[in-house]
Amino acid sequence: MSVIQPLLRLLCVLSLVLGGSGSGSGSGSGSGSGSGLHGHNSSVSHEYCVLGAGPAGLQMGYFLSRSQRDYIILERNTGPGSFFQIYPRHRKLISINKIYTGRRNKEFNLRHDWNSLLSDRPDLLFQRISQELYPSADDFPRYLSMFVKELGLKVKYGADIGRIKASDSNGNQGYILTDQNGVSYQCSVLLVSTGLWVPQQVDFLGSDLVEGYESIPTDPEEFKDQAVLILGKGNSAFETAQSILGRASRIHLYSPSPVRLAWQTHYVGDLRAVNNELLDTYQLKSLDGLVEGRLEDIAIVRREKDGGRRRKAKKRSQTSKEGKEQLYLTLTELLDLNGNNISKVTGQNLPGFHTDNFSLRQPYDRVIRCLGFRFNFSIFDGSAQPAQSSGARGRLPGVTAWYEGRGTPNMFVLGTAAHSRDYRMSAGGFVHGFRYTVRAVHKILEQRYHNIAWPATKLPISQLQSWILRRVNEASGPYQMFGVLGDIILLRGSYCEYLEEFPLQALPQLSALSGRPLTDHGLLVLVMQYGLNRTDTLGPGRAESEWTKAWRSNFLHPVLYYYNSLPTEKDMRQRPVGWPLPRPEAVHHMVEDFLTEWDQPISHSQPLRRFLEHCLQTDLRPFYAESCFLLSLTSRTPPLFCRQGYLRKQGIVGNSHLRQHAREAGLMADHQGDVTPGDDTSVSEYLKHAGAAVVSTMNFDL
Amino acid sequence: MCIVYLAAFLFSLTSEQCSSKLIEDSSQSFMERMHSGKTSFIYFGNHVNPTIKLFVEQLEMSADALQDYGISVVKVNCSKDAIANYCTGEKLMTRAYLFRGSEVLRSFDIDTVFDVNAIVSHVLFSVLFNEVRYVHTPAELLRVESTAKQNSDIVVGHIPVLGLPEHRALMEAAFVYGTKYQFVQTTGTLVLKHMGVVDPSSSQARLWFLHCKGVSRRSDPCPSTPMRKTLNTINIHTFLQLMEAPLVTESVLDPSEVDVVHMHLGVPVLYLFSQPQTQHLDRATAQTLALQLRGEVGVVLIHRDSPNVKTALKYNAAYRLPQEDVTYFTLNSAEGVVKLFKEELLQEHKLEDEEEDEEHWSDLDILDDEVSESVYRDRDLMLDLESVIELTSHTFQTTVTQNEITVVLFYFKWDAVCMAFIQSYIEVADALEGMNGVKLAAVNCGEWTDICSDQNVTSFPTVLIYRPMADAQLYRGMLGTKSLHGFILLSLVSSPYLLSSSAEVMSFLEGDLYSKHMYLTPVRVLGLFSSTHDMGVTPFEKAARLLRGETILGLFAHKEAEQWVEGLSVNLPALLVSRGPGVPHEVYSLPSSSPTDLVSLIKQVELDRFPELTVENLPWYLELGKPLLLLFIGKEDSTESTKALAEIKRPLSSGQLDSFLPCWIHLGRTPVGRSILEKYLGFVPPLPVLVMSRLKTGEEVFLFPPERPLMAKNILQWIHDVENGHEQPAVPGISHRLPLPCQSWHKVF
Repeated sequence: MSVIQPLLRLLCVLSLVLGGSGSGSGSGSGSGSGSGLHGHNSSVSHEYCVLGAGPAGLQMGYFLSRSQRDYIILERNTGPGSFFQIYPRHRKLISINKIYTGRRNKEFNLRHDWNSLLSDRPDLLFQRISQELYPSADDFPRYLSMFVKELGLKVKYGADIGRIKASDSNGNQGYILTDQNGVSYQCSVLLVSTGLWVPQQVDFLGSDLVEGYESIPTDPEEFKDQAVLILGKGNSAFETAQSILGRASRIHLYSPSPVRLAWQTHYVGDLRAVNNELLDTYQLKSLDGLVEGRLEDIAIVRREKDGGRRRKAKKRSQTSKEGKEQLYLTLTELLDLNGNNISKVTGQNLPGFHTDNFSLRQPYDRVIRCLGFRFNFSIFDGSAQPAQSSGARGRLPGVTAWYEGRGTPNMFVLGTAAHSRDYRMSAGGFVHGFRYTVRAVHKILEQRYHNIAWPATKLPISQLQSWILRRVNEASGPYQMFGVLGDIILLRGSYCEYLEEFPLQALPQLSALSGRPLTDHGLLVLVMQYGLNRTDTLGPGRAESEWTKAWRSNFLHPVLYYYNSLPTEKDMRQRPVGWPLPRPEAVHHMVEDFLTEWDQPISHSQPLRRFLEHCLQTDLRPFYAESCFLLSLTSRTPPLFCRQGYLRKQGIVGNSHLRQHAREAGLMADHQGDVTPGDDTSVSEYLKHAGAAVVSTMNFDL
Repeated sequence: MCIVYLAAFLFSLTSEQCSSKLIEDSSQSFMERMHSGKTSFIYFGNHVNPTIKLFVEQLEMSADALQDYGISVVKVNCSKDAIANYCTGEKLMTRAYLFRGSEVLRSFDIDTVFDVNAIVSHVLFSVLFNEVRYVHTPAELLRVESTAKQNSDIVVGHIPVLGLPEHRALMEAAFVYGTKYQFVQTTGTLVLKHMGVVDPSSSQARLWFLHCKGVSRRSDPCPSTPMRKTLNTINIHTFLQLMEAPLVTESVLDPSEVDVVHMHLGVPVLYLFSQPQTQHLDRATAQTLALQLRGEVGVVLIHRDSPNVKTALKYNAAYRLPQEDVTYFTLNSAEGVVKLFKEELLQEHKLEDEEEDEEHWSDLDILDDEVSESVYRDRDLMLDLESVIELTSHTFQTTVTQNEITVVLFYFKWDAVCMAFIQSYIEVADALEGMNGVKLAAVNCGEWTDICSDQNVTSFPTVLIYRPMADAQLYRGMLGTKSLHGFILLSLVSSPYLLSSSAEVMSFLEGDLYSKHMYLTPVRVLGLFSSTHDMGVTPFEKAARLLRGETILGLFAHKEAEQWVEGLSVNLPALLVSRGPGVPHEVYSLPSSSPTDLVSLIKQVELDRFPELTVENLPWYLELGKPLLLLFIGKEDSTESTKALAEIKRPLSSGQLDSFLPCWIHLGRTPVGRSILEKYLGFVPPLPVLVMSRLKTGEEVFLFPPERPLMAKNILQWIHDVENGHEQPAVPGISHRLPLPCQSWHKVF
């Protein structure tokens, strides 16, 4: 009896434990600690919550999964990349999918693959889905699904987060996310990658008469013989115009700023040549046109038919479409705004009445709004509300240089939504750019929350030049995120630490963010940059080929900055206009190259070496073993190359043919004609001899 | 070729046909020459190779030049006329001799007398041995000065490198003016400093005239005048003429009429007009000016009161540049005139300098490092990579597991060092082609960046050795044909080599097993353990695997191992080092330590105690951090060299040189040794020569006095003197700080 009772008690406890853990695992889809504690199925907690399973969210998911973090990706739709199920409306991606580059270098090829996400799977590239240079938009969600599946990313679909509020978890700010079913997710770190999907609207009188890009028909037949006014001059406006070009009678594009061509500004968000057929029909006077003006000043009015007839019935009737109402563009100041009654529009309310040749005096059958998208601020509680960015017309959340929301610690913004850092400057708003910023943010997370310092390659200084050349010739991150992400070289005397793709604007916080301390040897920053002086993109003198004038380069080219000490935030704020970094102790431009191959000895390598020599005050020339032999015996400090190569028994011997070249060039000591003739033969003799001996005594397996 | 008889008996026609004055002697004519008492420079040879051919061409040219000094230049064809003593022996072909009658004044290595300038300068220097004083230090120069005072003037020539045209010019001048002036030759920089040269590091040859004859009191120093032009025969001649010319010439003619020697020598002349009232003062001014401008400008004092002088009164001075008319001007101060000459009239090169500046940029287009430039010169050369397998991401894994040994080079096409090495790599691949089990492959990291990152290659070029089922081994040796080839062959030898009997040990150290790999290295290292259960065996085996390709290691774990240390002060486990048959073994006790510590221990005991330094092995020895006791021996293995080597070996065995690294350089096998000597001493003395070089402590280089015989006791005494500071360090010695290459990076913002 006495034995059985404790046994029974033990069984009871066991069943309780089993029951408890069973309910816990049911609630939290592979979640981490504490999921069972609340007893209800309505709360789970994760270290990292990624909001949105678009390209940025999945990219972060990959890095979190690779470093085995507790994370969840929350997605309200049933599949990844739902934005691309709708947009672009005319279903052609304008991101380059260049498969054939003539190169086999995987890193280099990413420079010309704008759709793939980063992973360690060499075959997980977009080209598996599509071979088109400009692929169909449907291919992108397919690619993302493949990415999720093959990497086994943890995505929870159908979780529509409606509310985000800040919470305190162990003294640190965390976030609680609540979905449509009332399930709440407690997150130590929130990664917002919701993209931009709320159509941007401008409030003006009659904006209700305007159709949106998100809902217009995509069948060109619907625009047959119609006069169309499109508000906006970006890629969506031009894409829409291009699709209806063969059907519409007249297409006018109206927006405040003139067209900016991507091939002139090097900003891929500006008008891409893929979409610019309307420029042709405008300039060749085929009834289409571009007009500049403020959106806030205009009004779209429906002209009362009888009101029109009363005055100039004949004139109007010719363009009217079987009794369909027509839309006029007018200016708010011309309207009689008593009670906002636009139905009483008269000729006097139209600009054409006052200026007889007013450009947009003719009526339109449709007015379409193509003004882009904005960030969805509405899901954030006051406590978790990120500030609006100062640029980009407030459409984006403001973030720090390391992509943390301003005023929202432990909440990071990723992907297109994080574009405020490099809006209209670089590629941070696009897949081929933000895949690298996401990687950079992940490294910052690893340092901040797990104390894992930013990965760095330790190099002897004698290898620095070749390492820089390697990066310059293949790295895709700094190439795509030019001016934003740059390689940092922390000088440490005889060696250095090479950090890849650090967000440049965060340079003053380098030590804290990367976990790599700074010494008084200074640092170098490698950035890719376009020229600052905008020249005629196709005109003469657009390219610089003389390396001595490398600083005048216009196309993308590598630039090195040397600092004695880390720039401060003040230095960063006061940097010269257009510069990615403050004025350094020394700056070196590697001359732009037509082939983007920066590997030529005279134009690229040697000037770079001389710059490094200037910064390090060290001779960085390579020497043959024979010269190192001489220098090691006759000087206290032989050149670095000899110290780090030859004296570590790794001298570069060269053959007599090469050494003869060096002697003829006067660069190597000539021992008063003492070159032993037959030096060459002696080595080959030796080899012949040795080889023969080997062949005859092949029995090595002793 | 002219034969002396032809030259003697046939007249002009023959000698015109034979433009060369080089005489070829038969044994008979040679005998006659020996009895004539004349000076001749003779080369004995028996066949012609490209080097000798070049030398003979230079010899012919020197025959013309030396004829003017009454010295015959002769060659003897030993294959026709074998002249005793000279036509035999190892020195044949590489030596030339200077005879006075039958006495050999000096013999030269033909590397020393490599061209006409070197022949003439060295021959004249030898002939004038008594006339031209050779000084090292300012003190020696002062001694020469004090004997010359009130007696004769001195011509001092600083010749940084012997045998060059400057040296020849000085010697030729000495030959002509030797009886008139005391000639002094120096190579050291100490004298340069003494003469007031600001930058003694420049390798320019210089000349001074010391006016010793005219010093009034013996305690006065000799005033000196530097020659400011480049050192060549004409300039020296001109300069000496100017030194002879009176300081100030007085004249009663108009400037255009005055004839002074300066006009003929192409030197500007300054005319000063003197008034009878101020004659003394004017003369003094003229003297002062003339002293300042000596050697560059002639000074003439013209007495105005003469009716021949037609110069307008408003001028008080005039000058005349060579081939130009007289220019008149008004002199305000003596300094003004000096300034005018020094800064304007004599600055003919100024314009050129500016042009050079402008061309500075284009100079920058020239590669200034030897590796890049030499690779660049081969840029149109297609590399033949046939014998090397080029690996890709797809073929890498399969290839490196297929062969017993796969050697893989990781390289960048645009890296000069990689491309310099790849030539050696191909040579090794060619040499090993067809050998079973060994394959050489290469990965171009510019394309296959993924392989290079996966293999953790961060330094270029890198060579990794792959074997199936083992980690890649990093090749840590010299990046050269010979070293890599040797390493690969050694890698095929099992390491350690397991020995099971004393007989096998014997064979390993000097028998059949030894000779099998003799051509790879003469050194054998043997681990001796009393049994296979010894704790030390496993770390030793691990160390042996780490040293695979570098050292031939044997392992004898057996009760008989005791025999090998018997009678020695060492107990088992022990390490036995053999440097070849016949050389006594060295035995060290083997502490129990980690494999990596064992590796460094083995590497250390492998080192020679009196090594010949070569380009390939120097780093191992410099690591010891000891001052070097460095013997330079000549190309030919002369008895002096052998003796010198033996003399240094003697105190070595008694441990008296333990604080040094005694070592030697053979200039034939390591020609760069000559440049080292030159850097140490500023010149190359006759070999063999012993120097002490304290690289680490940054102190200087000391030269064992050439006049003392190289004997063990002298060497020890000398070391003692050096350590006690009784010896003067040689100059220039060791460079403390190498200059940066041209500071050519330009700030543009």
